[in-house]
Amino acid sequence: MVVKCEDVWREISNYFEGDLDPALKLAMEEHFVQCTGCQSVRDGMRNVIELYGEIEMFTLPAGFHPRLRGRLSDQVEGRKISRRAWLVSVGVTGALAASAICAAALDRFAPRPLSEMSQPARRLPERLVAIVDGGKKFHVPGCPFMHGKYRMVTPEEAVREGYTPCIRCMRDALRSAGGVTPDFEGEERASSATAEE
Amino acid sequence: MQNRDQSEAELTLVTRSDPGHEHEAALIERIRSGESELFYQLIRPYERRVFVIAFTILRNEADAEDAAQDAFLKAFKYLGQFRSEARFSTWLIQVAINEARLRLRKSHLEIMRPIADQENDDGTYTPRDFTDWREIPSEALERKEIREKLVEALGSLAQKYREVFVLRDVEHMSIEDAALALGISAGAVKTRLLRARLMLRDLLSPGLGGVWTGHSQIPKGTKPWS
Repeated sequence: MVVKCEDVWREISNYFEGDLDPALKLAMEEHFVQCTGCQSVRDGMRNVIELYGEIEMFTLPAGFHPRLRGRLSDQVEGRKISRRAWLVSVGVTGALAASAICAAALDRFAPRPLSEMSQPARRLPERLVAIVDGGKKFHVPGCPFMHGKYRMVTPEEAVREGYTPCIRCMRDALRSAGGVTPDFEGEERASSATAEE
Repeated sequence: MQNRDQSEAELTLVTRSDPGHEHEAALIERIRSGESELFYQLIRPYERRVFVIAFTILRNEADAEDAAQDAFLKAFKYLGQFRSEARFSTWLIQVAINEARLRLRKSHLEIMRPIADQENDDGTYTPRDFTDWREIPSEALERKEIREKLVEALGSLAQKYREVFVLRDVEHMSIEDAALALGISAGAVKTRLLRARLMLRDLLSPGLGGVWTGHSQIPKGTKPWS
């Protein structure tokens, strides 16, 4: 199969989604080798996806939580708090405080990520992962977000060296492993709860 | 498209076996049974995401906060209509999108809606810049102004592209969940995502004076793709 530049531009987003027919993907990769323009489109789009995926662009306004909590208290929970609700809230607060203390203690001993913008790995795959010297992420071999020559190491070794998981390929890898939920959302949840307490 | 069935199967598997999902389902049942004080516990993990999507649509922090609060209250009011075969987070985002769009329609911002918002997705988008942008300067990722430039570039896209891009590439929702939340087909999500990514690439690439060269700004009000 031979593809033209227009075909590449039309399918380049699906290329990064991993949503391409294998023959088309191969044809696009052959095209990249000889077309610097399409290489530029591919590399630029990869950079855009990585940048927006990694940088914490939006932060909640100061006072967002208490204002929301206040409005919910007024309109959802009611002004009168039952004894049971009080006990539940004390329990939840205690559990959150305990988890915050544990997380802070664990953080002191956790390896420092090479990228300050990334979340450290909280779940690891059981197989070897690929890292590039000078890079910041560990990947599944063949991930389109990996640049240059890579070497295979254990996930634990990658974490010790400060590498953090590629949010694209590692999500899929954990999902396909079965039994382990690729809960990046949950990790986000845990880290934000810790930070906000 | 050939991966779609597989993705849907995975999604179903995840939804059924996810302990977080089961915990959430139990929490929803208890709230429906009258333990309304648990509602904050249910929505807390999604506070930021709801605010982000409201801000993406309204582009104003105060309006986005009001819309987010209203969305949470509506979610509580209509929790009985939530069908547990979907993810609660996707349903909640759908409520937030509807709330923010409603506010936008009511506000004067509607008058100033970019022309590009009213365009359809037909036609191909041709990249404008082919400068080599192979590497991201690692130090650039740590620079504060990069965040501002990224926000500025994203803000210059039309609403329909911002919505899709933020759900997929900022909030990392799946194509299927983004489609569900936005009320459009997965194919439309992919088409808009392609355009959004290409437009942002053109806006930020070194050859068009993107953020990496450090001496040029994205001109306000310009839409290079129009």
